[in-house]
Amino acid sequence: MIQLTNIDKYYDSKFQRTYVLKDIILEVKEGEFLSVMGPSGSGKSTLLNIIGLMDSPSSGKYLLDGNSVLDLKEKVRVDYHRNFISFIFQAYHLIEEMTVYENIETPLIYKGVKSHDRESMVADLLDRFNIVAKKDLFPQQLSGGQQQLVGIARAIISKPKLLLADEPTGNLHSTQGEMIMETLKELNNEGMTIIHVTHNEKFAQYGKRIIRLEDGNIRSDTNRKT
Amino acid sequence: MTIRNFVRKPVTNLINLVGLAVSLALVIILSVYSYSELTTDNYHKNGDRVYLFGDLTKGIYTPAILKEHIDLSVPGVESTVRMASAWEAPTFQVGNNDPITSDLLFADEDFFKLLTYHPVEGNLESALKEPMSVVITTMLSEKLFGSDQAVGKTMKINNDKELTVTAVIEAPKANSCISFSAIASVATRKIVFPNGDEFTEWGWCNYQTFMLLKKGINPDETAKKILALYPEIPPDNSAAKLNPFTKLYFSAFNVYGNSYLHHGDKKKIMILVMVAALVLMIALVNFINIFSSQWLDKIKQTGVMKIIGAKRSTILLNVLSEAFLLFLVALFIAIILVGMINPFIQNYTGIRFNPQFIYSPGFILLSIAIVFVLSILFSIIPALRISSSNAIDNLKKTIEQPVSNSFFGGVLVTTQFIIAIVLLAFTVLVQKQVNFGSSDLGFNQNNIIGIKLTPQLNGKKEVLKKLLQEKPNVERISFTQYYPGKQISHWGTHQDINGVKKQLSFDTFNADATFFGVLGLQLTQGRFYSEDLTTDTKKMVVNETFLRENKMENPIGAKFVMGMGMDAGLSEIIGVVKDFHYKAVNEPIVSLVMQNEPNAFYCLVSLQTTDFKSLHRTIDEIKTASSQLSPSFPVEISFFDQAVENMYKSELEFQRTFSLFAGCAIVIGCMGILAMSLFMCQRRIKEIGIRKVNGATIAEVITLLNKNFVKWVAIAFVIATPIAWYTMHKWLEDFAYKTEISWWIFMVSGMLTLGIALLTVSWQSWKAATRNPVEALRYE
Repeated sequence: MIQLTNIDKYYDSKFQRTYVLKDIILEVKEGEFLSVMGPSGSGKSTLLNIIGLMDSPSSGKYLLDGNSVLDLKEKVRVDYHRNFISFIFQAYHLIEEMTVYENIETPLIYKGVKSHDRESMVADLLDRFNIVAKKDLFPQQLSGGQQQLVGIARAIISKPKLLLADEPTGNLHSTQGEMIMETLKELNNEGMTIIHVTHNEKFAQYGKRIIRLEDGNIRSDTNRKT
Repeated sequence: MTIRNFVRKPVTNLINLVGLAVSLALVIILSVYSYSELTTDNYHKNGDRVYLFGDLTKGIYTPAILKEHIDLSVPGVESTVRMASAWEAPTFQVGNNDPITSDLLFADEDFFKLLTYHPVEGNLESALKEPMSVVITTMLSEKLFGSDQAVGKTMKINNDKELTVTAVIEAPKANSCISFSAIASVATRKIVFPNGDEFTEWGWCNYQTFMLLKKGINPDETAKKILALYPEIPPDNSAAKLNPFTKLYFSAFNVYGNSYLHHGDKKKIMILVMVAALVLMIALVNFINIFSSQWLDKIKQTGVMKIIGAKRSTILLNVLSEAFLLFLVALFIAIILVGMINPFIQNYTGIRFNPQFIYSPGFILLSIAIVFVLSILFSIIPALRISSSNAIDNLKKTIEQPVSNSFFGGVLVTTQFIIAIVLLAFTVLVQKQVNFGSSDLGFNQNNIIGIKLTPQLNGKKEVLKKLLQEKPNVERISFTQYYPGKQISHWGTHQDINGVKKQLSFDTFNADATFFGVLGLQLTQGRFYSEDLTTDTKKMVVNETFLRENKMENPIGAKFVMGMGMDAGLSEIIGVVKDFHYKAVNEPIVSLVMQNEPNAFYCLVSLQTTDFKSLHRTIDEIKTASSQLSPSFPVEISFFDQAVENMYKSELEFQRTFSLFAGCAIVIGCMGILAMSLFMCQRRIKEIGIRKVNGATIAEVITLLNKNFVKWVAIAFVIATPIAWYTMHKWLEDFAYKTEISWWIFMVSGMLTLGIALLTVSWQSWKAATRNPVEALRYE
């Protein structure tokens, strides 16, 4: 599904070129659950952003679903974001002025789903994550774990093929973190491709495959046989 | 610290500063102007006991003989002074110097007892006692005598008799409704400009009668006593009162042409003061918006300060002094700005005031005090909030922007939009009214020049006519007493027309037969008189209003007495012309009688439309030719259409003033909206990022950001329309001929406001929407 070839990402300052990613070669197949690990500044988030079409590499090739996705037009890129890729974040990034219900509904509005259909889709998800009672609350009124659940709900409501998670458990204590990881695992079992950046060794083990980044290079790439 | 804070956010702070400075400059100009207008004539020592006799709405012209009767038989009047300006501005000549044309006021010798002027040379108490003495202003003295002493010197008036200068006065510092460059006694007028039975007949109303009442005398009773002196109730003055002089300036009285008396327009000043207030309000709203938008930054900053050990009061003082400093800098920029643009403003808008006033210590202290109060008033609430917040909270930034803040911001911006729409609508209306007033005056204005007939030219009219006819491009030549914006006689008499007693009141001037052709006047009944004065004498042409006011159905052939005394005799109406505007356009057209008497003040020449160059050559030739005929008097040639422009000068000036100030208000408002949108986009960066990641297009994000502003403009439009309509309605009330308040005025101003707002906001929205969401969502 994802094919990265010789991906570089660097910043030029006056005297030197600083590499964030260097010569990354990575292939991710459909249905994989990939954990990306590495210390701070190793380029995990940049890699995720490049995969999620929020950042572009300085050089290299990127095929997504068989198509080259470098230098996309705004319209095409937005289409990918609407239908193909979704994100969850460490800081949840929910819109604070909106209720839980409205937050989850937003991607559907952009996708142009009819109001009647939206209602049933949001209701399904609320039901699935057991947050029906919270639907009229605002994000600040929820616990971190609940907020992240809303974040996941928002991410998957548009039925994406690829879910990118940037340290989704980073702000959560371990029981809540486990709950989130269980949810992701479940989604993966349903066939969703997930790439997941984390610091946490234990949570990384939820992935079927783990890569470790260091100074912009992939140091190891292991498949777990479980 | 303050300066560093300023530099850190240059755009918003600059908007704040420039907006405040410009609006303060406008406020300074308008308040100084209004102050000088509203304190007009308050500097005369006896001013509160001076009155003008007459009915302000109808006529303030009284006969000269009235004074003698008042002096004899009305107790309580300390002194009576008649005033009249010279019918035509005379020329003064010192020795063999070039003659200088100047205005001249005639008044009785007690003039300086009623009104206070400061002498530079000579003694004012006795200055007007002797006939043939004259008092001049320093300005005229400089023109005539240079830096020499003027008192005791003589000058020739109209190349004829000699006047002796007895005193020189300073031009009045403050505003006055009376203005003159030279003043001579009424006794002098008798000698210099003898005028029929002016001093013996009750019907010759050429003067204004001012009087100084003794202390404690009731003006109403005195007015009744004076009215009883008339042998016959005067048609224009049957309701005459004693009008206090100090209130004269803001009364709407009618004077004819080049008068020494002029009046202001209180409504205009009120409107301008309101505009100034609105401009200031817009700037203050900007200030509040920007100040509260920097709130979060400030909180972070003060959090650190508190932890290092700053006291609450220190922080409070800090925030307040920062605001005050901003205002103070704005004030000084404003004062410098006023000094710089003052000449332009005076020329362009006719707003005149003494620029030295704004540099006086009193004024500067007062404005600093006002600015101090304003700055405290508008920054105290955020300052208190910032200083009272908890230090730890500050650092953690857990303090949320109160929800009320964004609502409050919305209200403020809506207020700005309301002001913008009202001002825009009003600007359009003022423009429309000016166009309306000047579009159809009812006569030709183009390619006509007017030559003022000097006494020497007047004696050689036929020669002048012949000379002019030889010139190329000259089409028609007419001799007339009428000239747009110049003096016109007004008569009120009792007449016997075809056996019916009528009280007539009308404007009148003499004009020859060509006049109608030159001006292109339209005949509705009868005929114009013919060129031949030997067979067609004592004929009159009246306007339609004359028929209406005097209820005459068959005017042709009606006869009544025109003129008084020796040259009185029956004149016959032979024609009726369509009404045309011959006075200021906002004055109603009144009854008009034109007669074919030969005495004229102007020579009108209509020129064929040719190219600009040859037109100019012809005018130059005409100038040389007429100057040769009039060696001792400077010849004035003016374009008719320029003179016509004077007829609606006050509207034109008002329109310019208004559009200038409204324009400033809108620009300042725009800057505020820009700052507001900048702030809003910054605050919503994260939200925009999330939305984009979730599949929002740039267009959708821009729509989201602009939606609020559109909503505010819509609300503002709904509120502004009735306000604008009402003020427009009030303003138009004063005009005799008014344009309609059409619906499209509101649509135009609403759409324009929306357009401007969207343009301003979209600039920021575009920047925010096209940002890479990664930057916004990077974990903090």
